[in-house]
Amino acid sequence: MGSLTAFVIYAFALYAGYTSIGIIPIVVGISLFGVWGSYYSSDKIVLAMTGAKVIDHDTAPQLFNLVHEITIASGLPMPKVAIVQDAAPNAFATGRDPQHAVIAFTTGILEVMDREQLQGVAAHELAHVANRDTLVSAVAATTAGAIALLSDFLIRISMFGGGRRDNNGGANPLVLVAAILAAILAPIAAVLLKAAISRKREALADATAVAFTRNPTGLRRALETLAADSTVVHQKSNAVAHLWIESPLDNKMTSKLFATHPAIADRIANLRALEKTGPSPS
Amino acid sequence: MNATYVIVGIFVLLVVFGIIQYNKLVRLNVAVDEGFAQIEVQLQRRGDLIPNLVETVKGYAAHEKETFEKVVQARAKATAAQGVAAVAEADGMLTQALRGLLAVAEAYPDLEASANFLSLQEELSGTENKVGFARQYYNDNVRALNEIIVSIPGKFFAGPANVVEREFYVVNDPGKRDVPNVTFN
Repeated sequence: MGSLTAFVIYAFALYAGYTSIGIIPIVVGISLFGVWGSYYSSDKIVLAMTGAKVIDHDTAPQLFNLVHEITIASGLPMPKVAIVQDAAPNAFATGRDPQHAVIAFTTGILEVMDREQLQGVAAHELAHVANRDTLVSAVAATTAGAIALLSDFLIRISMFGGGRRDNNGGANPLVLVAAILAAILAPIAAVLLKAAISRKREALADATAVAFTRNPTGLRRALETLAADSTVVHQKSNAVAHLWIESPLDNKMTSKLFATHPAIADRIANLRALEKTGPSPS
Repeated sequence: MNATYVIVGIFVLLVVFGIIQYNKLVRLNVAVDEGFAQIEVQLQRRGDLIPNLVETVKGYAAHEKETFEKVVQARAKATAAQGVAAVAEADGMLTQALRGLLAVAEAYPDLEASANFLSLQEELSGTENKVGFARQYYNDNVRALNEIIVSIPGKFFAGPANVVEREFYVVNDPGKRDVPNVTFN
C-alpha cells in the first residue's frame, strides 16, 4: 500500500521531469505516511477490498458463538466477525491489534465445514491476531516494497548521475552493474522474504490454534477439507493473498519457495503428529 | 568512587528485577480472578438457558418428569454455589443433568427437528464450550501463578505482592471419566 503510493508519486515526479535525488525524502515520507495509513486502518481497507459484511450474534449465532469460545480460551477481546460472499471455502484475519481485529469467513467455508472444523479455523485466525501477524505481514510487505523501490532509485541514479546533467566523468560502470544486479535480485529477495515470513507465521498460527482449543483434530479436518476442495477464492489479488487460511493464488505453478503458505499437506502432517502425542492436558 | 558506582548499579538492577517479578505476580493474579469471573459468567448464561430448554422439551415430552427435576435441582445448586470447589462441583452435576435431558430429546424426532430446539441446542453447546475454555484459561493461569509462587525467586515476592497459591478448577464429571474396570487375577 505504502510502496504503491510511493511508486505512483515517483512516477508522477518522473513525468513532471524531477529526476533529482532531492525528491527521494519526499517520496519516502509520503510512502511512510501511506504505510502508517494502511497499518492504522487495515481492518477497514481489507473489509472494503474483500467485500466482507460484519455480522452479530443474531445474524449467524453459531459462527459468532464459536469465535467467542476461542476468545475465552485465548483471553483475547472479541473481534468483529464478518462473512464474505464467496463459494470457495476460506477465511482470514486482519486488524492492527487485538482490539481492532476482524476475522472473516466465506459463505463457502460455512457450508462445507461442521462446528468442530470451523472452531479450528476460528482458532487459527485468532492465533494470527494473538501473534500480531497482521502487523508482521504489513511490515514484511512494506519492506519488500521498499527494497524494490530502493533498487529502482539506485539504477536511475547511476544511469542519470543523480540528476546532474553536466556528465563530467559519467557514471561509474561498476555502480551501474551493481545497481542492475540489485534491481534484478532485490525484488526476488523481497518476495522470498515476504513468503518466508508468511509461511513461518502460518505454521506458528496452527500451533497456537491448538494451544487455544487443545484439539488438533478440528483444524486438521478443516485443512483436509480445504485441501480436497478445488474452488479458489475469486479475489486473486496478490495484495490480500497472505491473509487467507488457504492461499487463493494457485501455487501449483510456482515453487514451494515462493508460496506464501506452507504446503497444506505439511500442515496436516504436523497436526497429525500433535494428535498422536496429545496436547498438554489442561 | 568506582566501587560506589558498581554498588549503585547493582542496587538499581535489583530494584528493576524486583519490580518486574512483582508486576508479573500481580498480573497473573488478576488474570486468575478474571478467568474465574468468566467461568461464572458462562455458568450463569447456561443457567439462564435452562428454563427455556426445559419448557421446550416439556412441550414434546411432558412425562419425563424425573429428568426435568434433576436439571432444575442441579441448576438451583449451581446458582447457590460459592467458591471455586463448590462451583466446580455444581458445574459438573449440571453438565451431567443436561446431558440426560439432551439424551431424552433424542427420542423425540419432532422435538429434535424444531427450530426452537435447534437454536437452544446451539446456544447450549456454545455455552458448554465457553465454560470449558474459561476453565482451561483459568487453570492455565493458576498453574503459571502457582509455579512462580512456589519457586525461587517468586517465593520472595509473593508476600509483598499479597498473592497466594490458587485453587485449580477441577470438575468431577462422571460422564467423561468412564474408565473401564480392569481387574488382575
